[in-house]
Amino acid sequence: MALEFDRSILGQVFDETDFPPVEKADLLRFAAALGETNPLYTDEEAATNGPYGGLVAAPTYVTRLRPKKMAPEHMPRFGKVGFDGGRDVEIFSPVRPGDRLKMVSTIHDIYEKTGRSGSMYFIVLRNEITNQDGQKIAVVDHRIMQR
Amino acid sequence: MKTLYFEEVEEGDELPPIDLLLTKDFVRTYARTAGMDFPRFTDDAGARQEGLPGMIAPGVLSMGLLARLIGEWNQAAQITRIGTTFRSPVLPDCHIHLLGFVTQKDIERHAVECDIWMENHEGERWVIGTATVVLPTRNP
Repeated sequence: MALEFDRSILGQVFDETDFPPVEKADLLRFAAALGETNPLYTDEEAATNGPYGGLVAAPTYVTRLRPKKMAPEHMPRFGKVGFDGGRDVEIFSPVRPGDRLKMVSTIHDIYEKTGRSGSMYFIVLRNEITNQDGQKIAVVDHRIMQR
Repeated sequence: MKTLYFEEVEEGDELPPIDLLLTKDFVRTYARTAGMDFPRFTDDAGARQEGLPGMIAPGVLSMGLLARLIGEWNQAAQITRIGTTFRSPVLPDCHIHLLGFVTQKDIERHAVECDIWMENHEGERWVIGTATVVLPTRNP
């Protein structure tokens, strides 16, 4: 039997967040917190001679952007407990110092999987990130698992 | 900069593994830097109040470390997609191993697909994933 929920919620925008300009120091702190050694993310001078012509954010920096509203008000619940099931990140362009990023959040998908321990329900929240020029930076899908 | 060109990479190539002791301080620093300063990621007692065995590492920290695995293999690699599944809570103060290998080459895009994962010292895969990585080419 198909999972029952109000399908009109799929694709509805539940949050739009504008972030302050990205600071170089924040990019460096983030890279350091991961133990990054790649000079593209850690060394401004070396990065100037790299493929981006300057320092850029480590690839998963976009996962640290948090919407003002983490979830829609009427997010469906299918189980008693929720877990962080995973992330899928598509990267179109690197984040650079000074970028003013905007994030638009929607419920992208809801589906059910049945495993040995029973049914698991997945809610996929999608965050689409653009910069001040409207250029697509990344799409981050956050899979929340309920059981 | 350590650069591997598309032509130098073969399907089946292993990414040089990263072994590290994932300490509680490392996890706390990441959580605070990434705006995830929540008890479950910073404090054993607070995490236990949430029903966890102790503080855990944020899933996105594991993902960031797997992206680092790719970047240390090839500093000129451009990750265009990375997907990870968090199969088990990652408990700090343990040795973890980050591993991966090239599964497929895409000649049209000068891109490779990689399987990547994080395992503990007993070989249990706590986080698994895949990534698409565009590489520089000698034949643009």
